Amino acid sequence: MALQTLTYTFPGKTGCTIKKEWSHTGVVGSGDLEILLEQKAQAGAVSVQVVTPVHGFEYIWEAVLKDFVEENQIGDLAVSINDNNATPFVVSLRLKQALREAGIPEIFLEREGEKT
Amino acid sequence: MDWCRLKEDRESRLKQGDAYRIEKKLVAAKDTGRLLEAVIRPGDRVCLEGNNQKQADFLAEKLCRVNQEKVRDLHLVQSAVAMDSHIKLLEKGIAKKIDFSYSGPQAAKLAELVQKGKMELGSIHTYLELFGRYFMDLIPRVALVAAVEADREGNLYTGFNTEDTPVVVEATHFKQGIVIAQVNRVVDRLPRVDIPGDWIDYVVEAPRPFYVEPLFTRDPALITEAQILRAMMAIKGIYAEYGVQRLNHGIGFDTAAIELLLPTYGEQLGLKGKICSYFALNPHPTLIPAIESGWVTGIHCFGGELGMEEYIRNRPDIFFVGPDGTLRSNRAMSQTAGHYACDMFIGSTLQIDEEGNSSTATASRIAGFGGAPNMGCDARGRRHASEAWLKCGEEDGMRRETLGHMPRGRRLVVQMQDTFREKMVPGFVEELDAWNLQKTAHLPIPPVMIYGDDLTHIVTETGIAYLHKCTSLEERTAAIRAVAGYTPVGRKAEREKTKELRRRGIVKTPEDLGIDVSDANRSLLAAKSIRELVEWSKGLYHPPVRFKTW
Amino acid sequence: MSRQSFLGATARERAAGLTDAGTFQELAGPRDRLTSPHLPVLGEAVSFDDGIVTGVGMVRQHPVFVISQEGRFIGGAVGEVGGAKMVGIFQLALAEYEEWKSHGAQEDCRPAVIISFETGGVRLHEANAGLLAHAEVMDQIQCCRGKVPVLGLIGSKVGCFGGMGFVAAAVDVIVMSPEGRLGLTGPEVIEQEIGKEEFDSADKSLISRTTGGKHKYLMRDCNVLVPDSIEAFRQAIGDILEKPYEEMEKCRRIGSPALVKEQLDVAEWLADLAPSDARDVWKAMGNPMAEEYPDMDVEEFLTHAVRRRRGEQ
Repeated sequence: MALQTLTYTFPGKTGCTIKKEWSHTGVVGSGDLEILLEQKAQAGAVSVQVVTPVHGFEYIWEAVLKDFVEENQIGDLAVSINDNNATPFVVSLRLKQALREAGIPEIFLEREGEKT
Repeated sequence: MDWCRLKEDRESRLKQGDAYRIEKKLVAAKDTGRLLEAVIRPGDRVCLEGNNQKQADFLAEKLCRVNQEKVRDLHLVQSAVAMDSHIKLLEKGIAKKIDFSYSGPQAAKLAELVQKGKMELGSIHTYLELFGRYFMDLIPRVALVAAVEADREGNLYTGFNTEDTPVVVEATHFKQGIVIAQVNRVVDRLPRVDIPGDWIDYVVEAPRPFYVEPLFTRDPALITEAQILRAMMAIKGIYAEYGVQRLNHGIGFDTAAIELLLPTYGEQLGLKGKICSYFALNPHPTLIPAIESGWVTGIHCFGGELGMEEYIRNRPDIFFVGPDGTLRSNRAMSQTAGHYACDMFIGSTLQIDEEGNSSTATASRIAGFGGAPNMGCDARGRRHASEAWLKCGEEDGMRRETLGHMPRGRRLVVQMQDTFREKMVPGFVEELDAWNLQKTAHLPIPPVMIYGDDLTHIVTETGIAYLHKCTSLEERTAAIRAVAGYTPVGRKAEREKTKELRRRGIVKTPEDLGIDVSDANRSLLAAKSIRELVEWSKGLYHPPVRFKTW
Repeated sequence: MSRQSFLGATARERAAGLTDAGTFQELAGPRDRLTSPHLPVLGEAVSFDDGIVTGVGMVRQHPVFVISQEGRFIGGAVGEVGGAKMVGIFQLALAEYEEWKSHGAQEDCRPAVIISFETGGVRLHEANAGLLAHAEVMDQIQCCRGKVPVLGLIGSKVGCFGGMGFVAAAVDVIVMSPEGRLGLTGPEVIEQEIGKEEFDSADKSLISRTTGGKHKYLMRDCNVLVPDSIEAFRQAIGDILEKPYEEMEKCRRIGSPALVKEQLDVAEWLADLAPSDARDVWKAMGNPMAEEYPDMDVEEFLTHAVRRRRGEQ
């Protein structure tokens, strides 16, 4: 079966994009993936494109990505993923690492500060 | 009434077998087949020694080639179905029935034979259970065992890989059975006597050493971030929480990760001396850094592990060694220690259902149990107390209903589980494949490795479920769902219920435990490769060539 | 971070670490999304860099053009896009060479190409394009002769095998770590074709003795042996580039009738010796401590190692 391209758009927070203009994380090894994060002004939306050889798990991608967007309260972001059979845990972990490398939005850091 | 039929039968067999003796108990390797034909009768119960480590492979191969006019329809009673020769015995009809414990590499072929009706499956046991039956209703008439060395009187040196030999020989010999040993070498003087010569009838010097599988060697280079995260969670949320001092680690990368995190993460948490002092455990190479860092007081071993010989010889304060300086392993004794003297079992499995039952069976594989269930259960006969055992018992959410007010402890039984393995195979399922196997293999019950009511904790990347704290079965299912991630089981979790379980400390996420998921990386491992394990061992560990990349 | 393992690093980490800190500029990087046009129809995962990191950085005064292969992506196999990126780097280096020449040709500023190999050769999914890529890279290496030194670095997990083994043989200087593996036919293929008795590919120690850095150093298939750290590799690159260009030329294993004869003589000598293990070869070259070599660290190994004498055996 050919590679599959999945696209999702989630409502996010306007202005809560990453610090760097773009950032790249990960290697498309077996059971792994790469993630390209890019700033993109789109009224707060987070758009995601996933290219994956695995079929039949669209609902899991959607759930993992939705949790990522909600937990991190990000927005105005384009996410591009090349996947090679990564498990949901690896996807979540790499997304977290990608965000850390790209620079977590200022607002989020302030919130963290309040909490501690 | 003849009260000595077994003895007479034994003597008549020996009379025929003795024709092949060349010197005292020695029989030439070339006469092995004829010896087997002389002492084994059709329908005999035969124990072919072999487990997940050492194998009496030469004798097994010779048994495959006997004249089927003389030897057939045997009932095999043995720890493991591991070799091609074991399967061949069943295929050819030399054996027609088997009672066993573990069948890792031959699990698929065994299932095929059962489905084709080519053999009769007795029961699938745990090691200790099967050993028990060797002394009750499954006594071997003939045992074929393996040893490192023998002298001409039949004394055996089983040394490092003593494993099952004592229990097999004792059961067979003292019920008038016949014991034949294959040895790597016949020598004038043994380094030590592990099995007295009186218990052995014939010794064959095999043309090559018996096979040993390095089953417990885990290459640190292959440990993943998910395994490291679960290891961090287990150390902080279970080992430290309960002060677990006496334990068994299952086979696998999850526990290897824990072993390699003790000198780093465990040290950071200040846990040295407070956890992991005593193990019932095979000599895991990945435990070397913790031993060298002074974490471990003592280890008793079920079996040996290739490459660990010299290291153990040089650490006699930690391991059980004979006067000759080499390890004495003993599966039956270590299983007993594992069952009664351990406060915790921690391992991994293939599938866990919504009631907490777990199994490694699939519809097309009869894999057996090995020794894990003897440790992965609450030892109901246990009467001595310890901190971890008492705390786990006190937390038991359903004890009041079943026992009332009497204080009683409980073994910690922990499963570490990937929510998804490679190729998106879920680790949590609504129905275990074991049910399917029960049907296809006509088993009386589904083969369950660890029952839900014995399981106290599940550790996944999503969180730890403290199942024993639950006050009802429904609540336990909710707790399992809460840590089952994005699997179909996990997606049934209700947000509000999970929140409540977290509030009550029945479910703890990495965040609840104060663990940052992105801290879980390989730099935490005390050794990141086999080579670094060798360095930790000061050159005393000699890995098998399949693991030695230099 | 200075002791970061070369073996464990990603191609991108190696590319950045092989050049002086902060100088590496990736070209045709992930944001350019140069994915393979062949893999999607086959249902194979794609990568934004097609498994090869390319760019330019500085090592001391030298502009260094970097190619770094990523073994985790399809075993580092080279396809059409990755091959084109490699060729592009050579072309940039040659253009830079012309610049350099017209600006006084200061030796300590001579541009160079480094290739960090981690590959089994041609990407079978795009066979013809992959083969062509190999030929073009070979061609570029020839174009560089007398102008731009080409350094091969091998210290990765996958090593350098298949068609890229030929490419490695054609570069000027080869730097390896003991963990690096260099050969033409990979161990599994040898076992599959000739049998387990000839080569047991499960015997990792045997693989190391026959394809690893220490053996290749003793046989002079590798010029410089360094420990497994990115820093050690970078140091070696700097030291090599400090030498006069002619010295680098002398490191070549092929490329002249005399060198071809030397290689053929080695083959003949080995056939006569009929060794059963690489250690037999080491001993025959005058290494009585051969048995202990695999366990030695690089520093100790180098104090004992007696390499193949040139032009005699």
